[in-house]
Amino acid sequence: MKINKKIIEELTGYLKEFNLSEIEYAEGTTKVKVSRSISSSSITPSEVKKKESIESNGTNITSPIVGTAYLATEPGGKKFVEVGQKIKKGQTIMIVEAMKTMNHVPSTQDGTVSKILVKDGEPVEFGQPLISVK
Amino acid sequence: MFKKILIANRGEIAVRIIRACKEWGISTVAVHSDVDIDSMHVRLADESVCIGSHQPQNSYLNIAALMSAIDVTGAEAVHPGYGFLSENAQFAEIVSKHGIKFIGPSANLIKKMGDKIEARKIAKENGLPVIEGSAENINSINEAKKIASDIGYPVLIKAAGGGGGKGMKVVNKPEEFEELFPMAKIEAKKYFNNDKVYIEKYFKNPRHIEVQILSGKNKTVHLNERDCSVQRKHQKLIEETPSPVIDSKTRSDLLNKTVLMAENIGYEGAGTVEFIYENGKFYFLEMNTRVQVEHPVTEVTTGIDIIKEQIWIANNGNTGLNQDDIKPRGHAIECRINAEDPSKNFQPSPGIISVCHQPSGFRTRVDGAIFQGCKITPYYDSLICKLICHGRNRAEAIQRMLRALDEFVIEGITTTISLHKKILSHEKFISSDFDVNWLVKESFY
Repeated sequence: MKINKKIIEELTGYLKEFNLSEIEYAEGTTKVKVSRSISSSSITPSEVKKKESIESNGTNITSPIVGTAYLATEPGGKKFVEVGQKIKKGQTIMIVEAMKTMNHVPSTQDGTVSKILVKDGEPVEFGQPLISVK
Repeated sequence: MFKKILIANRGEIAVRIIRACKEWGISTVAVHSDVDIDSMHVRLADESVCIGSHQPQNSYLNIAALMSAIDVTGAEAVHPGYGFLSENAQFAEIVSKHGIKFIGPSANLIKKMGDKIEARKIAKENGLPVIEGSAENINSINEAKKIASDIGYPVLIKAAGGGGGKGMKVVNKPEEFEELFPMAKIEAKKYFNNDKVYIEKYFKNPRHIEVQILSGKNKTVHLNERDCSVQRKHQKLIEETPSPVIDSKTRSDLLNKTVLMAENIGYEGAGTVEFIYENGKFYFLEMNTRVQVEHPVTEVTTGIDIIKEQIWIANNGNTGLNQDDIKPRGHAIECRINAEDPSKNFQPSPGIISVCHQPSGFRTRVDGAIFQGCKITPYYDSLICKLICHGRNRAEAIQRMLRALDEFVIEGITTTISLHKKILSHEKFISSDFDVNWLVKESFY
């Protein structure tokens, strides 16, 4: 049989125009079905990362996991790091809780904390900058 | 019967409770945090109320918000599920004071059983064998050392307010108390807001066996035992019933003594009494005054819907069940499917489930709250669903479970499915030659 490319082209156009994932068209005994996968439009961590890094200077230490960030071991307790504090590589800078597991986030380098980029109890995504170190 | 019940929980157990309510003709109210708006329990309930932000203390643990949700929806009863506020005596008390039925035992009983020292005392007074140890709160290192030398090392320091394996310390020799005793007290204070600790003999290779009971004002019945000895980090991963390791004499002794204790203390509702089992002997561990994650294995072998019975008892006061009519058949196994990577020390694996195909077929049950496109957030427990298989005997149940695990497709996140396949086909599991510490020692990846 001969495939009429025009029909496919036309149907593909409709998919995009009406934001459909699938369309089926029948004419006589010929049936044509075209489909596509629609990708979600949610913000990806890399976009968040880009946005944040422009605002801050120095190196960012990012979250290794998606979860809830905590600046101290308990509410009102002593914070792991403060702005202006000198920190060492490997030192815990924050806790990110994911599924009841407390993950200590270590600093990836020596330096001085120039900015804390998240609030206590704030949800953070994978790769989101937590603090800036100079 | 109640006209409307509010379910103070989320995830698979909220879905499970909504299903039971629907079958009783009761309308349902789901509560949810802001991030849970698209969850299955919210979709299935007749009404839903957003009670706060993603952090549990702002929503699922927020008693004031829950009470408001009960008030605005006019619910007559609250089902707490498991976890969250299910064993919070204060919540049960507040609910009752407002003329709302708390589906579970009285606040007073929850409180007593929640204090592990008190629970141990109650169990002992009512004829259950308890683990050798201190009957009271231990205040000093010297006191601890004296008790430990009486019962013999190793011993375990446990928090009176504890549970879930948190704050426990194994002490192998007297010198270790100097460091571990203060540490246990600090952790107990931090996790449970109660620094009371006690000491028990430490069992090296125990199995975990528990008895399911249902109590009304008229009587208590048991629904046989469950064996939950496949554990990781003190959390159950696979449960089965009946236990493959206890003989019928031990079983009837265990069941009868448990029923007697529940009757003596005037228990009401569904409950589980947990035991440690080693060298042919069982010892009381604790009592859970709520429904448990692994309740379905008992349901499929006995044919009794435990959640519907809970609601019946809460409404009626009595249980309509007779012990003679409860005749468990065959063998059932449950595998907990968690969103975590078993090859990376069970690291949490939140994300979006891009492809989801759940198994079905003869005597195959899935209790879950997942669907294609659903988001597994990092804010709550990693349990996403449970697979339960029933067979005429243990061998058939294992075969069926392996068949069903093979059918299960979850993409987008990592789950414990691959580990379950390895465990179920491992010779040690097949021959029941394992204890609660097995999983840590075995390398599966």
